[in-house]
Amino acid sequence: MNHRIQIGGQQMLMHPSGALFWEERSLLMLSDVHLGKISHFRKFGAAIPTQAVQENFILLRRLVEEFQPFQIVFLGDLFHSSLNKEWDLFEHWVQATPSELILVAGNHDIISPLRFEKIGLHYVEDWELGPFYLSHHPTDTSEHINICGHIHPAIVLRGSGRQSLRLPCFFLKPKQLILPALGAFTGSHSLKQGPKDRVFVLAEGEVIAL
Amino acid sequence: MNPKTSSTLLPQQEVLLQKAEDWFSDQGWKPFPFQKETWRAYMEGKHGLLNAPTGSGKTYALWFPILMECLRVSGYLDEKKKTRPKRGLRAIWITPLRALSQEIFQSAQRIIQDLDLPLSVGIRTGDTSTKERSRQKRQMPELLITTPESLHLLLSSKNYPKTFALCQAVVVDEWHELMGSKRGVQMELALSRLKTLSENLRIWGISATIGNLDLAREVLLGPGSPAFENSVMIRADIQKRIEVKSLLPKTMETFPWRGHLGLHLLDDVIPIIKSSKTTLLFTNTRSQCEIWFQKILERYPEFAGEMAMHHGSINKETRLWVEQAIRNESLKAVVCTSSLDLGVDFAPVETVIQIGGPKGVARFFQRAGRSGHRPGQPSVIYFLPTHALELVEASALHKAIEKKAVEDRMPYLMSYDVLLQYLTTLAVSDGFYPKEIWPEIRSTFCYQGLDEDQWQWLLNFMVLGSQSLRSYDEYRKVEVEEDGRFKVNNKGIAMRHRFQMGTIVGDANLSVHYQSGGYIGSIEEWFVSGLNPGDVFTFAGRNLEFIRLRGMKVQVRNSKKRTSKVPSWMGGRLTLSAQMSQLLREELYSARLSKAEQSPEIQALDPVFEQQRKESIIPSTDHFLMEYFETREGHHHLFYPFEGRFVHEALASLLAYRISLMRPVSFSLAFNDYGFELLSDQPVDLQEIIDNNLLTTDHMLEDLQNSLNSTEMARRKFRDIAVISGLVFTGYPEKGIKMKHLQSSSQLLFDVFKDYEADNLLYTQAYRETFEHQLEEGRLRLALKRIGRQELVIRNCSQATPFSFPIITDRLREKMSSEKLADRIRKMTKKLQGR
Repeated sequence: MNHRIQIGGQQMLMHPSGALFWEERSLLMLSDVHLGKISHFRKFGAAIPTQAVQENFILLRRLVEEFQPFQIVFLGDLFHSSLNKEWDLFEHWVQATPSELILVAGNHDIISPLRFEKIGLHYVEDWELGPFYLSHHPTDTSEHINICGHIHPAIVLRGSGRQSLRLPCFFLKPKQLILPALGAFTGSHSLKQGPKDRVFVLAEGEVIAL
Repeated sequence: MNPKTSSTLLPQQEVLLQKAEDWFSDQGWKPFPFQKETWRAYMEGKHGLLNAPTGSGKTYALWFPILMECLRVSGYLDEKKKTRPKRGLRAIWITPLRALSQEIFQSAQRIIQDLDLPLSVGIRTGDTSTKERSRQKRQMPELLITTPESLHLLLSSKNYPKTFALCQAVVVDEWHELMGSKRGVQMELALSRLKTLSENLRIWGISATIGNLDLAREVLLGPGSPAFENSVMIRADIQKRIEVKSLLPKTMETFPWRGHLGLHLLDDVIPIIKSSKTTLLFTNTRSQCEIWFQKILERYPEFAGEMAMHHGSINKETRLWVEQAIRNESLKAVVCTSSLDLGVDFAPVETVIQIGGPKGVARFFQRAGRSGHRPGQPSVIYFLPTHALELVEASALHKAIEKKAVEDRMPYLMSYDVLLQYLTTLAVSDGFYPKEIWPEIRSTFCYQGLDEDQWQWLLNFMVLGSQSLRSYDEYRKVEVEEDGRFKVNNKGIAMRHRFQMGTIVGDANLSVHYQSGGYIGSIEEWFVSGLNPGDVFTFAGRNLEFIRLRGMKVQVRNSKKRTSKVPSWMGGRLTLSAQMSQLLREELYSARLSKAEQSPEIQALDPVFEQQRKESIIPSTDHFLMEYFETREGHHHLFYPFEGRFVHEALASLLAYRISLMRPVSFSLAFNDYGFELLSDQPVDLQEIIDNNLLTTDHMLEDLQNSLNSTEMARRKFRDIAVISGLVFTGYPEKGIKMKHLQSSSQLLFDVFKDYEADNLLYTQAYRETFEHQLEEGRLRLALKRIGRQELVIRNCSQATPFSFPIITDRLREKMSSEKLADRIRKMTKKLQGR
C-alpha cells in the first residue's frame, strides 16, 4: 500500500519497496539499487544464491507496471561494481522499459557514463527539477528541497517490555528527503529522528508514518 | 602399578628405553609408571590417548619414544654407520595455543642437547616470522611444534605430500580442548590426509580428564580404523587433592544480587596474594581481567611492578614476558583469563583464585591444578563469587570435586563448512581427485555419515557456487581440470583462501598501536565504533586516548585521565554442564534444610533466601517455580528450571513461541544459568501455561524449529559457518575494508538463503548446529520431562525477587513476536507520543 504525501506542493507516493513516485510529473525515483553486487561477490568466490539477482529485476518490472512512469530517475549507486554479466540483464530490462531513464551518479557508479549513454540512459551529476534538487549524496541547498539516497536510512523503534525494531525508512527533513535503498542484499544505517524530522517506515508491504 | 615388561620390543629398543631411564635419573627424577607405559606402547607401534593433567610430565612421556624411534628408524644408532639421518619432518606436535609451544619446544630441546642427538626442533605458528617460515620451507626441522591452523596452511602449499613423507608421529596435545570445537574437526581432516601421506604414522592424543575419554580416542583415531584397533588408552592416574575455599562476604546485605565483577571482595584477595609466592587470578572475560588489574593497582599501588595481566588480546611479546616472569618468580600476582588455562607449567604458582563461576568442573579442575606443583601438596583454589547466587555454584563445585563429576566434550558432526574449507585448501595446493579423498573423509568421525549425494552437493558448490549452471553466472573458485582434478588456479582466490583459513571466527579485530608504531594488542571493531577522538579507555592495563582509526589500525596515546571505558569482547558466554546443573539444583534445594546440613556458602546466603521467601518461594525437588511481577519496564514472567544457560535459551524460545500461538504477543527473552524471563508489554496469565500444557515434550522439535525462525540463534551460527566455509571473505589483514560490509551483513546473507536457497547445506547446518550444540536438544527433553513430574508453582510478586534479579537486568536478549509488524509499530509510536 502506497503512502500519499505532499512535498514542495507536489503529490508524492511512497511505495513499500522504497520507491518514490511524483504524480504531477509521472516520475519514479529509485535509489541505491546496487545491481551487480551479487554477481560481483560470486565472481570472487562467494556463493550467494543466484536467484537473488533476479529479485531486483522482478521488482523493477513490477514498479514500472504499477506506475507506468514517464521517467525513471535512479538516485545513484545503480550499479555496484565494475561491468559483469548482470549488466546484460540490466540492458535487457532497459530495452523492455518504455520510460525515459536517467541516472544521477553515485559513488558506487564506477562504470563509464558512456556505457550508460550507449544503452539509452541519461547520465547526470545532479538535477534541478521544479522545487527539487536531485542528487545521490545528501546536499544542503537553500532554494530547493533535496531528494537523495546514499545513506540507506533506517530507524530504531523502542516499546515497553524492552522491545525494539529496526526498519528501513523514508527520512524527511524540512528541506530534504532521503530515500531508502531499493536493492535486495543491501544494508542500512540507523538515523535518529529530530524534532522536525518525519519518518515513514517500510513494514511488510506498508508504508507507515511515525 | 608396574608396566608390563613385554618382549615385543627389539633389543635395540630396550637399550633406548634404558637411555631414557638413565636421563631421568641424571635429572634426579624417576619416571612415572604412565610415562614408561607410554614409551613402550609407542615403541610397539601403537596409537593411543594419554590421559594426563598439566604438569605431570606428559611431554616427556611422548617426546622420548618419538625421538628414540626417529633415530632408530633412520639408522643413526647403527654403530657402524652413525650417519646423520636423512633430513626432513619426522614428528609433529599439535598444540591448541601458541603460548604453549615454547614449553614443548624447551623440553624437546633439553633431551636433544643432553643426549647430543642430531635432530632439530622448530615452531611454526601464526607468530612465526615470514623469514623463519621460508627457512622451514627449504628445510623442515625433524620435530615441528605447530597449531591445527598452521598445519592446514602446510597442506595448502605446493608439493605438500613431500613434506610429510617421512613423518612418523603426530601428537595432538590438549585434545579435550580441541575435540569440542571445529578445530577438532580440522584435526580429524588433517589426520585423515596424513595417514595416507606418511607410512607408519603413529597418532597420539593427550587429554585432561573429561567424561567421555573413550569417545575422545575414537574421534582422534577414526571410528573402526586400523589405527583405532591398534591403540591404547593410558591414564596417568595422578591423584591430586583439590581444596576449594569460598571467599564469603562479611555482610550479605551489601552483597549484590547481580554483578559480574566481584570487586566488592577485592580487599579480601590482598592478604591471599601477599601470603603466597605467586597467585593467578582467573577471570571469565578479558574486560573483567582489565578492570580487576586496574582496580587492584588503584587501591594497592605497592603492587606496581609485581603484578601483570595476561589475556588473548594482548600482544605476544607481553604475554611471553609475563609467562617468563611467572617462571622466574618475579611476579606476585597475574590477573588472567582462560589464556593461561592450558599447558604451561608454572611451578612457582602457589595459589589460584577463581573470580566468578567457572561454569564447568573440568575447567575448574584445570585451573585449580595450576597451583601446588610440589608432590603431595594439595591444589588450593579460592572461589570469589561475583553475585549472591554464585555462592550456590561454589557449594556445588565442592560436591563436583568429591564426585569427580567431569563433563563430556561433544564432538561436531557433519560440519560442511569445515569440509568445504579443507577441500578448498587441497585445491589451492596440489589439487585433489574426489575419488581419492572421499574414502579419507568418510573414515573420520565427523563425516562418517556423509552420503554420496551430500558429497556431490559439496563438490558442485565448490565449482558452480550452486547446484546448477546458469548462463550469466561468473562464479569462480575451484575448477575441474580435464583429468578430473579439482584445482584453484586463480592466484587471488588462493591468496584470499589462505588468509581466511581457520575455524575460530571472532568479530573483526582491529590492532591497537601507538602513534609512534608500537603494537599493544587487538580489540573488536564494534568497541572502536563507539569511540570518539579524545575518548580514553583502559586496555592492556594502560589508559589510552583514542586518536583516530587508520585502516584496520587504532591509533592511541597514553593518557593520565581516569576512565571507566573498558573494551569488552563478545562471545564466550559459557553454560553450566548437565552434571553441574544437577549439583546446583541439589545445593539450592538444601536451602530448605536445617543449618547443620548446609554448606557454609548456603548458610551465608540466608539473608538472600529470606528475601526470596518474602516474595516467593525457594523451590524444592518437587517444585517448578514461576514468578510474575510488573515494573516500569513491563510485565516480567520468570521461570526457574536451573538447567544451565543453553537449555534455558531453548526453553524460553519454545515457551514464548507456544504462547504466541494463542494470541498476538511480543516477548523479549533473557536467560542465565538459573532460569529465564519472558518480558512483554502485556501480562500473560501463567495459569494458562499449566492449563494448556505448554511445557509438554509433544511436538517439541517442530515447535522449536519454528521458534528458531524468529530468533537470532541460527543466524549467529550461520555467521561463523559462512566465514569458515569461505562463503564470505573477511578481508585482508590490515586492509579488510572492501568486503567488510559483507561480513557485518552476514545477516543479509542469511535472509537471502532463507528466501532463495533454503535447502543449501550450509544454511541447514546453521539450524542443526543450533539444535545440537546450542540448545542441547537431548538435555532440553530431559528437562521438560523432569518439569512434567514437578508441581508448577505460580507466585505473583510485588517486586523483583533475588532469584529474578540477575536475569531481568541482563541486556543481551532474544526477541519473539507473533504480532503484526504494523500493530507493533503503532503501539510503539503511541508510546512515543504518550511521553
